[in-house]
Order: sequence, then C-alpha cells, then structure tokens
Amino acid sequence: MPVELENSSVMTFSNSGSGEASVSSGQQQAPPPPPAPAKKKRNLPGMPDPDAEVIALSPKTLMATNRFVCEICNKGFQRDQNLQLHRRGHNLPWKLRQRTGKEARKRVYVCPEPSCVHHDPSRALGDLTGIKKHFCRKHGEKKWKCDKCSKKYAVQSDWKAHSKTCGTREYRCDCGTLFSRRDSFITHRAFCDALAEESAKSQTNNTAASAPAAPENQKAEDDGKAAPAPASPAPEKSPPPAVMPGAGSSRQLVAPPEQQREPENHPAGMLQYMPSAPPPPPSSITIGSNNSSSTTSSSGGSSSGSSTSLFASLFASASATTAAQSTTFSDLIGAMSRTDRSLAVEAPSLCLSGNGPASLFSQPPQERRPFLAPPPPPSPHMSATALLQKAAQMGVAATSSSSFLRGFGLATSAGHPEGINDGGFHWRPQQQQLEPEPTPILSAGLGLGLPYDTAAAAAAAGLPDLMMGPPPLFGPKPATLDFLGLGMGPVGGAATGGLSALITSIGGGGLDMGSGAAAAASAGRFGGGSSPGKAWEGAERKPNSPAIL
Amino acid sequence: MMQFGESAPPSPPLIHLNGQALRLDLTSPEAPLHRPRPWPGFPISPKSLGSFNTASCMEQLLVHCANAIEANDATLAQQLIWVLHNIAPPDGDSNQRLTAAFLHALIARASKTGSCKMLAVAAARADADLALHTHRFSAVDLVTFVDLTPWHRFGYSAANAAIAEAVEGFPVIHIVDLSTTHCMQIPTLIDLLAGRPEGPPILRLTIPSPTATTTMPPPILDLSYDELGAKLVNFARSKNVAMEFRVIPSNPCDAFDTLIEQLRVQQLVSDGGEALIVNCQMMLHYIPDETAGAISSTMSMTSSMSLRSAFLKLLRSVEPTLVTLVDEDADFTAGDVVGRLRSAFNYLWIPYDAVDTFLPKGSEQREWYEAGVRWKIENVIAHEGLQRVERLESKGRWVQRMRAAGFRGVGFSEEAVGEVKGMLEEHSAGWGLKREEEDFVLTWKGHNVVFATAWVPS
Repeated sequence: MPVELENSSVMTFSNSGSGEASVSSGQQQAPPPPPAPAKKKRNLPGMPDPDAEVIALSPKTLMATNRFVCEICNKGFQRDQNLQLHRRGHNLPWKLRQRTGKEARKRVYVCPEPSCVHHDPSRALGDLTGIKKHFCRKHGEKKWKCDKCSKKYAVQSDWKAHSKTCGTREYRCDCGTLFSRRDSFITHRAFCDALAEESAKSQTNNTAASAPAAPENQKAEDDGKAAPAPASPAPEKSPPPAVMPGAGSSRQLVAPPEQQREPENHPAGMLQYMPSAPPPPPSSITIGSNNSSSTTSSSGGSSSGSSTSLFASLFASASATTAAQSTTFSDLIGAMSRTDRSLAVEAPSLCLSGNGPASLFSQPPQERRPFLAPPPPPSPHMSATALLQKAAQMGVAATSSSSFLRGFGLATSAGHPEGINDGGFHWRPQQQQLEPEPTPILSAGLGLGLPYDTAAAAAAAGLPDLMMGPPPLFGPKPATLDFLGLGMGPVGGAATGGLSALITSIGGGGLDMGSGAAAAASAGRFGGGSSPGKAWEGAERKPNSPAIL
Repeated sequence: MMQFGESAPPSPPLIHLNGQALRLDLTSPEAPLHRPRPWPGFPISPKSLGSFNTASCMEQLLVHCANAIEANDATLAQQLIWVLHNIAPPDGDSNQRLTAAFLHALIARASKTGSCKMLAVAAARADADLALHTHRFSAVDLVTFVDLTPWHRFGYSAANAAIAEAVEGFPVIHIVDLSTTHCMQIPTLIDLLAGRPEGPPILRLTIPSPTATTTMPPPILDLSYDELGAKLVNFARSKNVAMEFRVIPSNPCDAFDTLIEQLRVQQLVSDGGEALIVNCQMMLHYIPDETAGAISSTMSMTSSMSLRSAFLKLLRSVEPTLVTLVDEDADFTAGDVVGRLRSAFNYLWIPYDAVDTFLPKGSEQREWYEAGVRWKIENVIAHEGLQRVERLESKGRWVQRMRAAGFRGVGFSEEAVGEVKGMLEEHSAGWGLKREEEDFVLTWKGHNVVFATAWVPS
C-alpha cells in the first residue's frame, strides 16, 4: 500500500518550542511560535501549535484530486480509505488504516509556493483542505466561473457558495449601485446623495396627493414600514384628496417655505430632526418629512406649516418637522403609528387630517384650517384637537382656563405614551373630558418659552389677552398664522374678531403648544407618563429634551 | 539570530561591522546562487535573493536595520536598507509590500536621528513612491472602504447588537460615538433601532471633532461633520427616528476631556429616561497611556495615572448605560522600536494579506487600505512621544483596565453571534469569529485581529 507521504516528496518538520524549524528552503529561521490558545479549537487555521508537525506538500500533490488509484480499473479516489473500500469490490485484499494516536501530533501545512506568505511555518494553515484551497485560490488558475456575474473562482466550493447567493439578494440604491449585503446597502443609503435629492424632491411634491407615495415607496423598500401603504389608504380612508384641493394652495404656500427652511436651521453643532408621525394614520401619516408635509397638507397643510414655525423656535430644528412636530410627539409617545390606521378611523376628531372626519372638517368653516394632523396617539394632541373641534363646533368662547388645563391634564395622563396602540381608544374618552379651553394651552405653551410667552401669560387670565397673544408670534411666521387660523395664508384668512375665529386660533395655538409641549415633555419624560400639565411646567424649568433648549 | 557568512574573497564592507558580530551573507549555502557579488553596485535580481523572500527573513532584516539605526550605525543601516529595498519592492506580493512599508518607516525614523540623516536623504529618493497620499474620502467612498473587509464592520455589528439590547425600554438614546470611521456605524444602528418593537426612539448622537493640531489617522473625511450629520439626520428622518446630531471639539490626546465634561453635566440633570451609550471603535488606543506619559516630559501625571486610565475612570463616573469597546488586538506599547517593530510586523501582515485575497493589484481601494496601514506603520516606527499615537494594547490589557475602572463585562447575545457570523459569511473565507469568554474576537486565518467587548458599570 503506497504511503502517500513518501510518494509525494513531502518533507516533514517539527516545530520545537523555540521554533527552530528547518523548512525545505533551508532557512534558519526561528520565528517565535504563536502562543498556544488557552482553549484550542480543532483545526484552527493559521494558528500552528508549537508541537505541530509542519508538512510541506508539493504543488502537484496539493492539487491532485485523485491520488489513490485502483490498480485494477484505474479509478481514482481522494482518500486512501475510499480506495480501500473500493478494492473490496474487486475482491482484492484491502486494509483500512487505523487512526494512530494523532491527537498529540497536530499537523499544519505550508504552502509550497516560496513567495507566498503561508510558505513560512509561522503562517501555516491548520488543515489539508485549507491549504489546498488556499493554494488553489491564490496560485491556481481560476477555472470556475459564475454564470450570472463574471466572477471567477479557482476553488469549486467557493464558486458554489457564490452561485448560491449571486443575484438572490440584491439591494439597489436609487443611485444605481447594487449591493449584496444589507448592511452595506443601508450605510450607503444613509450617505448617498440620492436620499437627499429624494427628500428634496418629495418636499416639492407635497401638493400632489399621490406624489408622496412614490418616493416613499422607493425609500421604504426594505424596512417593511408601509410607506406606500399609508399613502394608498389615505385616499380610501379619508378625503384627504378632497381636503387637499382646498388646502392645496395654502399648503403650497406653507409647506415649501417650511421645507426649505429646514436646512438653514442648524444651530451650530446641533442638528435636529423631529420626525413626523409614522405612516399609518392615513391623514396624519407622515413618512419622513416628505410624507409629513404631504399628509399634513392633505389634512390641512397650513396647520403643519404653522406648527412648524412654532416649533421651529422651540426645537431649533430645521425640518419639515412642522408636521413632524406633532407627529414627533406621537412618535415620542411611542405611537407606532403603523397600527394607527385603526386609530385614525376610531378617532376621527383626532385625525384632523381628514380621516373620515368629514364632519370634523365640515364643521368649522375653515375646514382646511390648520388642524395639526396629530399623530394618533398623543393625547395632548388629541385633547387639543378635540378642543379645537369642539370650539369650532360649538363656537363657544373659551371656558375657564382651569377647566381646560384639567381637561388637558386628564387627557394627557390618560394618554400614556406606552399605550400608543391604544391611544385611539384613549382619545375618545378624553375628548369628552376635555372642554375646549385654549387659554391654558397657551399658557402652558408659554411655559415652553414660546415667543408669545408673555402674551399668553397675560392671556391666561382671559380671552382678550389671548387674542393679542398669538398674532405677534405669527406675524413673522406665516405658517403659524395659518395654523392658528389667523389667516396668514389663503387658508383661514385673517383672524377676524369673530369669536369662533378667536377660539379657533387659540385652539390652534393651543394645539401647537400642546403638541410642542407634549413633544418636549415626552422627549424628556418618555415612559414617565407624566401629566401634560406637569410636563409643560417642567418644560420651562428644565430642558427635558434638547429640542426644548 | 540569523548568521550570515561571507564567502566571496573580496570582502565587501558588509563583513566589517562596527562592533557588531553580524555578517551579512548573501551567498549562504541555502541560496540558489553562489556567486560573489561585488558590493554594492552589482545588479542583483530579486530572484537571486529569493531565499530572503520569507516573512521571517524580512522581519529579521528589519530588526537588524532598526538596531543599526538606533545604534547610529549608518553604514550597516545603509547596507540593510539596500538589501531590504531589493527584496521587498513596494509593488510585490503582500509580504513584500508590508516590508516595504516598514522600510519606509525605518527610513523616516532614521531621518530624524543623528548620523543617519544623510542616509535617509539618499534612501528617501528611492522611496518616493511610497509617499503617503492621504486620500480624502467622500461619505459614499468611506462606506465602500469600511466594507472592504470585516475589520470595522465586525465591531459595528457586535456593538449594534449589544446597544439594541441595552436600550430596550429607553425612549431616548444618547450615543457618544468615538470612532475613527466617522459615524459609519450609525446608519445600521438607526435602522436597527427604528425597527424595534417599542417603536423608534429619540436618538441623540454626539461625536468629538479633533481640533486642528491633532494628528488623526486615516481615513480622512472630505466633508465636514456638519454635512455628515445632516445626511445622518436626514436618513434618520426617513426611518422615523427623531435625531439630534452634536459635534463637540475634543481630542483623544486630551482624553476627550471636553466631551466627558459635557457628558457629566448632562448626566447631572438627567432623569434616567435616557440611555447613555459610549461606543468606542478603535479610538481609545489613541488616548495616551502610561508609556506615552513616561516618554513625554511635558505631560504631568497626577498620581501616576495615565490619561487612558483617567479617561476610563471619568467614563465610569458618568454612569453610562453601556460602553462598547472595540479595538485592534495587538501590543504596540513597547518602549524600544525593535519590540514595536516585531509586534507590528506580526500583526499588520493581516490587512495586507486580507486585501490581497480579493482586491487586485492596482485597485484604488486596495491602495486606500494599504495607505491606511502604512500610516500606522510609520506612526509606530518613526514617531516618538505624543506624536506616536498608535498605542495599541492587547485585549487582555484593556479588559484589565476596564475592570480596574469599575466596569463589568457583559457578553453578547446569541443574536449578536448570529449577526456577526452572518456578516462574516459575506466576506472571504479566511475571516472567523472566536468567542473568548464573553468577548468576541475577529480572526483572520486563526490569528486575532480585532476584539469586541461590552461593559456596564459594576
């Protein structure tokens, strides 16, 4: 029985402890032996054991696939054992070699190619297959070619492994680059200009109801967020389209300037984005700023616009966060809006964005008005929205501030952030509890350090002051005016002395502040479930979130 | 020690060594050619020097060269440089390129010391092609760069998994990213957090920005941090993650004192609803350790504590929710250049070998990668004092430091294992994951490359 080792002109060397291995090339090298790992794994490649036997096979031997040939039929086998078993078939004498006590003598293999880094015993590889593959890969010809792409491989198993994954999982960035790995794709996407362009594009596409859906579709390809979904349900669920035409103009006025302002609002060293509400609630779904703009617009974009401006100062953030503000809050609350579609349906009054609540919109003469499309969950929003709605419906002058605050407080406490998914349900009862009371909202908002702080403070006492409050604030910021219904844009018209207008504006302002306060509060006290009142008060005292500061 | 015997009758200067018993034998019995060579002008093809073309041989030559330089032996140094230059062309195989990089560094070192200056000038001409062109990366290029090998992505995956687990239930997450790769880890982290069951968090990201005078290693960004941050915030927005991006001027050579101070102030007013994660990716070894202190005379060491230990103690004092510590598993802190050379040579062959397996010669990406490694080599060999910033320490040493500073190691979940393994699958077969107790170690053909650990205050 041929002893393979001898026939293959192998030279065996042992690495002694001091590493005085004499390699076939005759170098007197004593590379420091790698420290034996404490926990030795078997066949650890490239980590030769100092006691291991270094084996140098010739290239021919290494590349030979069938070294053991049957003398009868000339059939070749890779392993001697296989040949022996085959010999049985010829009724030839056969003998399976017993495993010798080889545990103690681990073998490591060096590459026969002298210029190769693994030719050195200190860089030997631990198993025969490993060195064979290495030799073949590095020094052999690449005989295996992938059919789908043009990659070539010298080792068949590499080729097989590649063919399995080639083309099966592909991620394509908008810029055209293809990726086979998701993490590379995600990282690339984050920094690729295609994303920035897309955001810019979708912003300008706000007015088109369907437009937002398209970019969103592309954007959310791999994150399972129903980016397209929100857009599509929107038409079916609520009349955003119906609303939009009306609000369209105002939106156009409001949104783009807001969007464009985003990039400028970078306080030195600090960038912020408070995302808009998560997709689901059709009307209030906002995926990224784009959607937010679109959805809020659909719901009455001006509100988003105004809220943006209001919050811009608050959060020092540049972004379509406008609508985002309110949605941010919901985000903060943890309303994972994806499930909020039902919410939207359930709480029509909340979803100003016109889910179903045709009634909501129809009630106030200024239906397109800037109802902030509150993301479903945030109860403060809810209360604010509900408040506004009630005010509009009833045309009631603001009742005592205390009641409002109380109502709001109730709402907020009820609307615990954690219960996002239940937010909708919470809203309803809260709605009933709340008495439209814009005044307190304003004062609370004041606590947040809003510009109309002083005015609002004064306004706490009574409506007349409130009336004074908002205008100055909104003067410089058209969007705000819009939101407050002070009629900065085409929507809402100038706030006349009408009580309903006042209330609406106050409510709008309250909404803003409510959402802002809530957002700020939630940012700082997520999961704390603190009452909104407290949150507001706290907000002025202490920077719960960087946004506030 | 390698013994070289000179067999040619006209003995070249080689055998007359000043006070050194070393004789350089270019015609050793093992060498394929046994003809005398007049020194030094005789053209010798690299082939005839083939016997020298092994890693250990090159290492020995480099060691001798370093010794010669340290001993101010210009003649010997010149001879060795000549030999090395011939056996290790900068466009050779991975071993040769590695050696060429070390040679370049040794020459740079020599040029700063006494009598070797002339030698350096002469040799520098030959090494012009190794001049470091520091590529400035665009954001997209940097993405490609970090994904060439798992060198960085390994640490990212392990850290992301640990972070995601540690911040469960926290609505606000504050990440302090101390990384040499400029937030390349962040998009996948955002993606991970955006998809968590309790909903996307509010994310605050704080990064240090080196001031003008600091030596920072490659990769160098071609855009400002503000621009980078804007892209990140925009990306976060697309994932419905509220994000704030903050840059604080701070340097590793000052142990990030300004950054730590900010954290301390913030923690004073924190209400516990915010998770503070300090993510250290290959950055901490740039904070001067005890060996830096010993060398520099300007640094005042209070109570014999190095900046590195002080940093860790301060870090502990801000009560972070989690600290992820990823770094290169090698020891470059030896005081003598020869010791460092050995360590560096026996570690930095790995990136050369790894890129060799899948990037062809002349590939631009390979050039970036190797330029980065050359920077490291030059820094560890040619520089001293505070300019020598590559003060790597082994995993064992870092573990000791963290424990001494009051941290307790936490392991990685099985999910993390799966993540990392999956990531490694996508790369060359030589990469592996080793688990040492509760830590992860990235291996290349069995050799330790990068370790990843996670810590909480104990």
